[in-house]
Amino acid sequence: MKKWTAILLAVVLVVTMVGCGQTATTEEGMPKIGVTIYKFDDNFMSFVRRAIETAATDKAELILNDSQNAQATQNDQVDVMISKGVKALAINLVDPQAAQTIIDKAKAAELPVVFFNKEPDQAVLNGYDKAWYVGTKSEEAGIIQGEMIASMWQANANWDRNGDGIMQYVLLKGEPGHPDAEARTTFAIQTAVEKGLKVQELELQTGMWDAVKGKELMDAWLAKHGDAIEFVVANNDGMALGAIESLKGNGYFVNDKFMPVVGVDAIPDALQQIKDGFMVGTVLNDAKNQGTAAFELAMNAAMGKDVVEGTSWTLTDKAVRVAYVAVTKDNIAVGEEAYK
Amino acid sequence: MSENQPKSPKSLMERFTKENILKFVVDNAIFFILLALLAVIIAMEPRFVSLKNLTNILTQSSTRVIFALGVGTIIVTKGTDLSLGRQVGLSAVISASLLQSAEYAYRMYPDLPALPIILPIVLVMLITGFVSLLNGVVVAKFKVDPFIATLGMMIIIYGITSIYFDRPPYGAQPIGGLDARFTKFAQGAIEIGVFRLPYLVIYAAIATAIMWVLWNKTKYGKNIFAVGGNREAAVVSGVNVTMVLLMTYTLAGLLYGLGGALEAARIGSATNNTGNMYELDAIAACIVGGLSFSGGIGTISGIVAGVLIFQVIAYGLSFIGINPYIQFIIKGLIIITAVAIDNRKNIKKK
Amino acid sequence: MTHENILEMQGIEKTFPGVKALDGVQLKLRRGTVHALMGENGAGKSTLMKCLFGIYRKDAGKIILDGKEIEFEDTKHALKSGVAMVHQELIQVQSTRVMDNIWLGRFPMKGLFIDEDKMYKDTLEIFRQLDIQVDPKRKIGDMQVSEKQMVEIAKAVSYDSKVLVLDEPTSSLTEKEVNHLFKIIRSLKEKGVGIIYISHKMEELDQIADEVTIFRDGQWVATEAVRNITTDQIINLMVGRDLTNRFPPKTNTPSSPLLSVVDLSVKYQPSIKDVSFDLRKGEILGVAGLVGSRRTDVLEALFGMRTVEKGEITKHGVKIVNKNPQQAIKNGFALVTEERRETGIFAELDIRFNATLANIDSYKKLLVLLNPKTMNRDTDWVIDSMRVKTPSKATKIQSLSGGNQQKVIVGRWLLTEPDVLLLDEPTRGIDVGAKYEIYQLMIDLANNGKGIIMVSSEMPELLGVTDRIMVMSDGRLAGIVDTKQTNQEEIMRLAAKYL
Repeated sequence: MKKWTAILLAVVLVVTMVGCGQTATTEEGMPKIGVTIYKFDDNFMSFVRRAIETAATDKAELILNDSQNAQATQNDQVDVMISKGVKALAINLVDPQAAQTIIDKAKAAELPVVFFNKEPDQAVLNGYDKAWYVGTKSEEAGIIQGEMIASMWQANANWDRNGDGIMQYVLLKGEPGHPDAEARTTFAIQTAVEKGLKVQELELQTGMWDAVKGKELMDAWLAKHGDAIEFVVANNDGMALGAIESLKGNGYFVNDKFMPVVGVDAIPDALQQIKDGFMVGTVLNDAKNQGTAAFELAMNAAMGKDVVEGTSWTLTDKAVRVAYVAVTKDNIAVGEEAYK
Repeated sequence: MSENQPKSPKSLMERFTKENILKFVVDNAIFFILLALLAVIIAMEPRFVSLKNLTNILTQSSTRVIFALGVGTIIVTKGTDLSLGRQVGLSAVISASLLQSAEYAYRMYPDLPALPIILPIVLVMLITGFVSLLNGVVVAKFKVDPFIATLGMMIIIYGITSIYFDRPPYGAQPIGGLDARFTKFAQGAIEIGVFRLPYLVIYAAIATAIMWVLWNKTKYGKNIFAVGGNREAAVVSGVNVTMVLLMTYTLAGLLYGLGGALEAARIGSATNNTGNMYELDAIAACIVGGLSFSGGIGTISGIVAGVLIFQVIAYGLSFIGINPYIQFIIKGLIIITAVAIDNRKNIKKK
Repeated sequence: MTHENILEMQGIEKTFPGVKALDGVQLKLRRGTVHALMGENGAGKSTLMKCLFGIYRKDAGKIILDGKEIEFEDTKHALKSGVAMVHQELIQVQSTRVMDNIWLGRFPMKGLFIDEDKMYKDTLEIFRQLDIQVDPKRKIGDMQVSEKQMVEIAKAVSYDSKVLVLDEPTSSLTEKEVNHLFKIIRSLKEKGVGIIYISHKMEELDQIADEVTIFRDGQWVATEAVRNITTDQIINLMVGRDLTNRFPPKTNTPSSPLLSVVDLSVKYQPSIKDVSFDLRKGEILGVAGLVGSRRTDVLEALFGMRTVEKGEITKHGVKIVNKNPQQAIKNGFALVTEERRETGIFAELDIRFNATLANIDSYKKLLVLLNPKTMNRDTDWVIDSMRVKTPSKATKIQSLSGGNQQKVIVGRWLLTEPDVLLLDEPTRGIDVGAKYEIYQLMIDLANNGKGIIMVSSEMPELLGVTDRIMVMSDGRLAGIVDTKQTNQEEIMRLAAKYL
């Protein structure tokens, strides 16, 4: 009896493995390019990944890795890819500080490396002639968000509910210590102030990028401050959407009772909320162009060409900067384009 | 608990000896800690005392109570369930994907007609019920330690949820744009004058009532305590241990499924990480509420109290703006203190 | 100078909230003697030992070891000072080897590593002195209880103990093993070791003890030389009243056939093979045998806890099959197990729960709900008719004495109205007064037409309450004897038949 169940289990296991094992399509003659993504199920990175795959069609054989948010895993994956004979590496670091380790590995194998999305130190980048970076500047998302907040606030005098000329805001921060969270938090507010706004911070807490936390924090803040809150700034759309759910539950968005909410990322749900008038704006992190650029640089490097040869990208300090775009109801199509 | 109450007013004075007061404090230490924390919170922010905050705390506790009831029943049978959070995620993702608004442009199933909301909810309950039943089979039939069995299941379910979640055309996007009927189902409330009684609280109350009856008024309830209290003795006494375990895990799965769907509707979206680590919160609440990993001990009211304690603290600390990292430390201390005091209580009785 | 008394305890007091557990008790242990410590459960024997070993802190009194007043911090401290105890429930690491257990906490070292050779040789040397034949490299978990006990004694000896406390050392030993144990005790005596011997078995005192001290309800009652006191006197002092007979009069008479078992074999061996017997209504059938003779397996096979390979069970002339305990209960069987704590009670739960669990199906109303009224009524019945001493039915069963726990469990089974009652060592760890009550209960049940099968290691008990005795030897039935016409020698001879 016991024996049979054990055999049954083993059979199930083997069948599952056979069933799930993907038949690797070996496209002869095309250069192999090794790609790691810090975490497959990160919603933004899943679009970057798709852009890379689209760009690579019929041009290169990709070896794609999910580093599962663990730098140790990523290091092992890089070793495996090198031994598989890739011609170039495109690396989305888990931990930006680990860039030197990856470069050391690449150097030993004389392979070019293109880092993307997570930015290594400029000094580290300069230390290896075959290393480049594709991405954005963390602070840029904050700056664009700040500009958006300033222009909207100035255009809508009725948002200053208490009429004191000061914007009372609450801010949902990402994971503390995360470069994006820190930069977005600092620059969004700093830029708004530079554009001439008077602001007062009522609350600033981390929602850990999480919609649940965003909602529950907003619940507490509304209970505490009530209508004194005039603006909700979120480091990402996930927390912004959580806050919107909380606002809906607290009687906002009916009969002229309104609360401006801004986020970053332009995920589909956020675009829908902007269309429906629950959210005033977000910042598009251009996944399509980031992925395409990362691939094109890696491809050129693999072929031994100049990395930006035959592309529309410009290289400054060994880096290609893909621009952020502000998305509001007026230019929602820009955001939607990203998902087509 | 009720046995401790004074029987006659005459004896009241005798009860106010130093020793008895100390005993009372130790026996109810966790509530005194809660009171102390509440006092600190209120001192720092008097606005904390409000009806609004009460409803918020109750609402936020609702799904957590449902999860804790499920895993709590398993803990009584001397088991545990690490796959709770991932089952919640599975339920949240599937129910959300089947209940996206027809107007939403980025639907997982663009051609899916608007379903009656009860249908997907029942469906996800059946799915997680089945998944949990498998947990039960592994634990009861193959005699795998519950910690290991559910650890394995936790990882498997995450894989399954991620495959379901991360699919073309929109990839690993939070599943949002939920049908308004669905979000209303979780976020709505009955208005009684100024007081809003959220539906969620009602669902949690119903789940609690059903579980209370199961635990206290049925043969099944006696059997879970028998299996957890002394498995060998239960076998001798004619308890079908395998069946009790299978029922317990399945029941927990049904609760996770319901809670997962409510969680998706409450938040307005779901990802494959929805529910991540919820098992630890739920288990911790059960333990603080007086359940024991050695099995056979616990009450429904203890579970509910455990959840409420955690939520009051989490909410209260956010409310006064305490650094979330410090919140972790406080939560951890509460778990350890609660169990340490509880053990002291038992040691003393020997 | 050497003191005549190796250990003296004077005026020891210990109070727990609400209970005076020890009220000025005394014990004087002379060098090179065996001093029996007797008393009913709860008399204060184990509390005194716990005070000696520092597990409890005494409230008052003096402990003098070899002329010096001492107060041990813990058992380790006691061991180092030459005071050791072999517990009734052996505390050993089951997965390690014999010698690891003996030297745990003080392994002989060679530099950074444990000196395995020395450990092995030293262990063998101690075993040789004590005439113990056990391989020091065997795993504890693979050994018989008696062997484990020998290892514990060897461990105490290895500490050069001056005082050795043995707590119910013979409760799970066979006659032969008991003799070996006594041989070891005598050789320790010759070396001047003082031994405190805690036991419920009267028969052993004459054989092994020099003096006896008797406690009752936390108080010292008497200390006497064993040769100057009779068993009945000891019992009277323990119980505090005249208990002229240890067994109630046998008033039951076996009548019509109830159960018949033919060629019963268990699939997974070693276990019972080809066992045949029958049981009549109103009969008490004893099951005797040495440890390892598979007495308990007979009961477990009948109760559906073991996979039966072949054999036929008929009850009232109808063939029945008990594949699991549920079926057995439906077929009118009940089993009171040997290890009360392991497989009998739900320690953390109350008496009501413990009393009603096996009969739970009969309390249903409205499909699934249970009826608390009938459950309370039945619990009251158990408490009354079994004469359970308890403050209330909501009391946790673990706070009752062993005898009262046993009564609740017997009551649990009587609620299921069984025809066949299977009792496995029903009086183990129960004091004399409570034993008498259990015997009386068995005879009353037999008078009511129940059939009882009782496994026991205590020969007087088998001879005192049963009608017939079946003797098991290495899984086989060695013979069935009429209790009135047999004696201890015949039973022992049968027990060794297939060895």
